[in-house]
Amino acid sequence: MNTAFLIQFAASVLAVGGLVLLVAWARIARPTPPLDEARARALIAEEFPGRALEGVWVATDGAGAVARSGAAALVICRVGDGYAARSVPWAQALSSSFRDGRLRVDLGEVAAPRAVLTLEAWPPKNLAA
Amino acid sequence: MDFDPVTLATPFFILAIILEIALGRLGRAKANYETRDTLTSLTMGLGSTVAGLLTGGAVVAASLWVYQHRLFDIPMTAVWAWAAVFLLEDLTYYWFHRISHERRFWWAAHVNHHSSQHYNLSTALRQTWTGGVAGTWLLWLPLSFLGFPPAMVAIQKGISLVYQFWIHTEAIGRMPRWFEAVFNTPSHHRVHHARNPRYLDRNYAGILIVWDRLFGTFQPELDEEACRYGIVKNLTSFNPLRVAFHEWAGIGRDLLKARSPREAAGYLFGPPGWSPDGSRETSDMLRAQWAAANPEAAAGSTPTPDARSASRA
Repeated sequence: MNTAFLIQFAASVLAVGGLVLLVAWARIARPTPPLDEARARALIAEEFPGRALEGVWVATDGAGAVARSGAAALVICRVGDGYAARSVPWAQALSSSFRDGRLRVDLGEVAAPRAVLTLEAWPPKNLAA
Repeated sequence: MDFDPVTLATPFFILAIILEIALGRLGRAKANYETRDTLTSLTMGLGSTVAGLLTGGAVVAASLWVYQHRLFDIPMTAVWAWAAVFLLEDLTYYWFHRISHERRFWWAAHVNHHSSQHYNLSTALRQTWTGGVAGTWLLWLPLSFLGFPPAMVAIQKGISLVYQFWIHTEAIGRMPRWFEAVFNTPSHHRVHHARNPRYLDRNYAGILIVWDRLFGTFQPELDEEACRYGIVKNLTSFNPLRVAFHEWAGIGRDLLKARSPREAAGYLFGPPGWSPDGSRETSDMLRAQWAAANPEAAAGSTPTPDARSASRA
């Protein structure tokens, strides 16, 4: 690494800092109002087209949802002003850790290690069996 | 080499991002920026310059060695030579880009560029950290073997990269029809970054969209189907390390459970989403599912490679 590169790199770091501050100030992220059931169902339909849902449980903070579709749990969680979605076995979702109102679903991927959803109760009372 | 188009263009990149943010803030153009997403994109861009240093020496050495065994002497001062390198470099870019989407080993190096759920000028700078290791630079060596000086090839690659910066925006709708017909544009490249099944693995062009038209991978942006950006399975993290290495880690996990050399080869060089039992979904599978559910819409879209083969048979 020569001096010119280091100077250029340092200037780039400063520019990155300045741009990120500008973005934070501008507040032009996509609006992401808390999910309600209709919006959660629409998102799930977009991510998992054609899947019949037997139940949808929306996070109390509206930042995600989990749905049951046969033997699968369809999980969506907010990431910034977007969402990520994964399908895991329902039994796995059912046995996920639930403490202090937070459900931690292991998604088992480096790209998506886990989803954390705030829920009033888990397992859901109407489908716990 | 003193002339580096990317270095020269860097101030322009910064000013253009500021302008896009300002227009978005003022409501004068479509431009969404999320703070952590932007930080990740710009950090990836910074990191790529450092990563490039690690393999840059090998790339230069290989290019010079190949050039010593060149077929022809192509003068760097001739206009025809620049026209030729423009076309051949852009053709090389098309195939580099296509391989980078259609084979998992190279997708692992390229996926980071598509990992943002945003499409703005900062996304253009979300560059690879592992492209050098993945060896895609080998694809450009034939140009030096033909006789194009390595510096000429490097400059043209830089020009291509600079060109592709401005097309990463939603602020520009469509360019004049003649321009859309010949060149890669924001509209064409929005399709490329979209995760809608009908848009997957389309529009690989660098500068000239004609390659996609020629090789059957062109898909126009459709007013009735807005682009949803990101990858089929979006990340749940903004951590640049996860962005840079998650697919490599996924390959490693899969290789550990491969039960035969054929499975290992499939995990490495099959299309992204390939699995021995078909339990995962490739782009072609996703598009086929979408086409089955939307036959009328699918009739107007570019067919999958499999469908093209079938129709020729």
